[in-house]
Amino acid sequence: MDDRLREDAGLRLGDTLVLRPRPGGPGERVVVGAFTRRNADPSEVARGEYRVRLHLDQLQALAGYENRVDRFAVQAHPGRAERAVAAVNAQAFGFRAYRSRDVAVKSSRTFEVVRRFHRAIGVITVAAGATFLLCILLLKVEERRRDVAALKLVGVSRRTLVGALVLEASAVALAGSAAGLLIGEVAARVVNAHYQGVYRTPLVFVLVTPDVLAFAVALSLALGAGAGYLAARRLAGTPPAALFGR
Amino acid sequence: MRLTLAAAALLGRRARTLLAVLGVAVSAALLLDMVMLATGMRESFRELLLARGYQLRLAPKGTLPFDSEATVDSASAVLAALARDPRVSAVSPVLGTQLFVVGEAGPRATAFGLGVRPAVQGDYERLDGDDVGPGRLVANTDFLRVAGARVGDSVEVAAGFDPQVRAYSGRRRYLVAGTARFFYTAAGQPVAALPLADAQAMRGDDGRDRVSAFMARVADTAQTEAVRRDIERRVPRVSAISTATALAQVEQRLSYFRQLAFILGSVSLAVGFLLVSTLVTVSVNERAGEFAVLRAVGVSRPHVVQQVVLEGLALSAAGALAGLALGLVTARYLNAVLGDFPGLPAGFEFFVFRPGAAWRALGLLAASGVVAGVYPAWRAASLPVARTLREEAVG
Amino acid sequence: MSDTERARRRDVILSAAKDRSAAATDPPESVSRSADPSVAALPQDDSRAVIHLDEVRRAFRVGGETVEALRGVSLRVARGEWAAVVGPSGCGKSTLLNLVGAVDQPTAGRVLVDGADVGAMRDREATAFRLRRVGFVFQRFYLLPVLTARENVELPMAEAGVGRAERGERARELLAYVGLGGRERHRPAQLSGGEQQRVAIARALANRPALLLADEPTGELDARTGREVIALLERLNADGTTLVIVTHDETLAAAGRRVIHMRDGRVERDEAVR
Repeated sequence: MDDRLREDAGLRLGDTLVLRPRPGGPGERVVVGAFTRRNADPSEVARGEYRVRLHLDQLQALAGYENRVDRFAVQAHPGRAERAVAAVNAQAFGFRAYRSRDVAVKSSRTFEVVRRFHRAIGVITVAAGATFLLCILLLKVEERRRDVAALKLVGVSRRTLVGALVLEASAVALAGSAAGLLIGEVAARVVNAHYQGVYRTPLVFVLVTPDVLAFAVALSLALGAGAGYLAARRLAGTPPAALFGR
Repeated sequence: MRLTLAAAALLGRRARTLLAVLGVAVSAALLLDMVMLATGMRESFRELLLARGYQLRLAPKGTLPFDSEATVDSASAVLAALARDPRVSAVSPVLGTQLFVVGEAGPRATAFGLGVRPAVQGDYERLDGDDVGPGRLVANTDFLRVAGARVGDSVEVAAGFDPQVRAYSGRRRYLVAGTARFFYTAAGQPVAALPLADAQAMRGDDGRDRVSAFMARVADTAQTEAVRRDIERRVPRVSAISTATALAQVEQRLSYFRQLAFILGSVSLAVGFLLVSTLVTVSVNERAGEFAVLRAVGVSRPHVVQQVVLEGLALSAAGALAGLALGLVTARYLNAVLGDFPGLPAGFEFFVFRPGAAWRALGLLAASGVVAGVYPAWRAASLPVARTLREEAVG
Repeated sequence: MSDTERARRRDVILSAAKDRSAAATDPPESVSRSADPSVAALPQDDSRAVIHLDEVRRAFRVGGETVEALRGVSLRVARGEWAAVVGPSGCGKSTLLNLVGAVDQPTAGRVLVDGADVGAMRDREATAFRLRRVGFVFQRFYLLPVLTARENVELPMAEAGVGRAERGERARELLAYVGLGGRERHRPAQLSGGEQQRVAIARALANRPALLLADEPTGELDARTGREVIALLERLNADGTTLVIVTHDETLAAAGRRVIHMRDGRVERDEAVR
């Protein structure tokens, strides 16, 4: 029995149930022998139906299938799967055999769509964040116009000024990345806990992997340093006369 | 004069203002898209469900229409029971079946077949040609493409394929009478509608007096729920689903998108607010001397506040308008991405533009720009005039 | 320009000041060359005093310490008078000006300007006071860089609720009065220092104030331009405007009729010079 039936229908081990193939029709008594948890199978996540497992011949009899099954799952010897597929398909019985991974690709279409959607949203939010960052940085460095003018007055070169500002922006970006990673990790845990509860599944919805981590850090550093460089170049052009409000 | 000062303050720093407007525009676009996503799915599906005015759907007990291969037996008896109810103005039975377009060498293509009664059908909208009838089918362009046929050609179709003996239980030739747009089938899926009796016969024993689902039209929509309950009571082997229930089911399945829409929408609102608030704050800090001069020549505090708040409003309003255009473009793109979602009807849209909801969302963003300007405005108005004049150089 | 035209212009510019004082052009009785320059040249009749300071003190907290910028200053300035306030840096002259202009408030003592107790004013009253009763001219002009010359002059009038057409007309007249007719559409960045100061003076006159306060009006100007501004101020005073000017500029100080010398927050001496 599906583990959720334990909660939803109040079933317990050893309970006797009647299984019917259609409402009001004849049925068979069965005893609840075990409860099984759902798989972390994404294709099952949104499905609310309960899963019940019983002996094949019993189900065939119950459902009136006689000597029929929906499918076979075949394990081939290592390295022989392709030949097995070809051999089955060449048989006269009209079966079709598929590699599991090909089936997975087809049934993963939903997640492929979701993945592309997430990527599109990600691009948009990064664009929004980058614009926001550039704007804020430009504003904040302009507040230091007089400081820069004073430094130039005493002879500090433009190169030094730009370098210092870029370094500062990069340090802020690095610190921001660290904070962002922490937030991301916490958010991932919250999201997983929430959806695992909603869908009652062990499936992990959000996973922060090393490559995701590396990408996020690299992107934020690039954006921070880049925005800092643009802002610094603008600021380093301030003439010393700006000290006097001119 | 306040408008002049606010405009001059913004236009005097074009690059910065432009960048800020761009930032707000992107936030506004994202907010608009999320509003469209949150409301779109529901609206789109509702429109689909009510396309032909059928408020109720009947499916085998415990299933949703076409969610499984289960069928309702003794369909004619169910039809008769429904027809006796004076509140029901029309009933449309439909049987779904896998169809094979066959040629001399064997099956050329597979398609989805819908057995319908054309007088009451609610599954498609005819685009051209004639309707379903004896020896005539109506198909979508995907079917014509895979079958290599045009309107006026004849095609041979079969159903009830037994893979073990490689034989069909039914096989017939039809004239392609016309093309149609099918409401509830997935995008890209080849679909053909043929007479219900033919579909039942072609399925053999498996199809006799069976249908996949019924659609029922209730004359007085206020009675829909009462009719639904009565049907379930009188015909226990069907589940009767109202539009509201169907909507709820779809929403539950797609609840992730609504939640995502809410979260991202909130984030974009917050980002827009932060951007305007920061810009106005920095602008005020830079122009402290200017505000001190205004106060020195006699401009009152409320008027200084108004000027600064105007600047915030102008930024967020301009950004919101630009965001509207950007949001519509990105919504089309995102809709195309999600359009590949398997199992959803072709006519289903994730992002639906509703002017009322859009204006409310963008209005909220513009209002947040006003609120964002309040604190810096208050600071500008509260500057100690004498000290600020001493410390700041203006002009 | 004919005398009639000049008189008409004077009336337009300064009608409020004229209304307030029938004898605006008569020099106060006590302002005359005195044998003893240390005698305070105070008008005998207090009712004609437009500025009345009584034991005024102003202290500031700077970095944890209290600094007394004014230590008990008492003085009167008559209507139509031109008083220059001179002294070394830090003597309290600008503080004095800020108190008179209701930009600041005294720590102790009374400051009466045109009959109003400035020290007791709340912010709203002080703002309205600055708007209508006092004109301020600063060393650094303090024009708004984003506005044109005309818009800068219109600003106080707009704040006072003057209609667009009327304030536009008056702004043009004021700019013509200060010698900048035809430069209305120029922004401060397009004007020389002297021109900017003229615009600032025109702005200060916008709402026909009883009193014009100037803090180092020639401080940022070269000698020639400074003389032009002094000539303008002389014309204003001749037309009836009361002037109190803080300055280091000896030429400017000598142009007035009275010089108040300050040191260490006190009036050291107060002498008539003409």
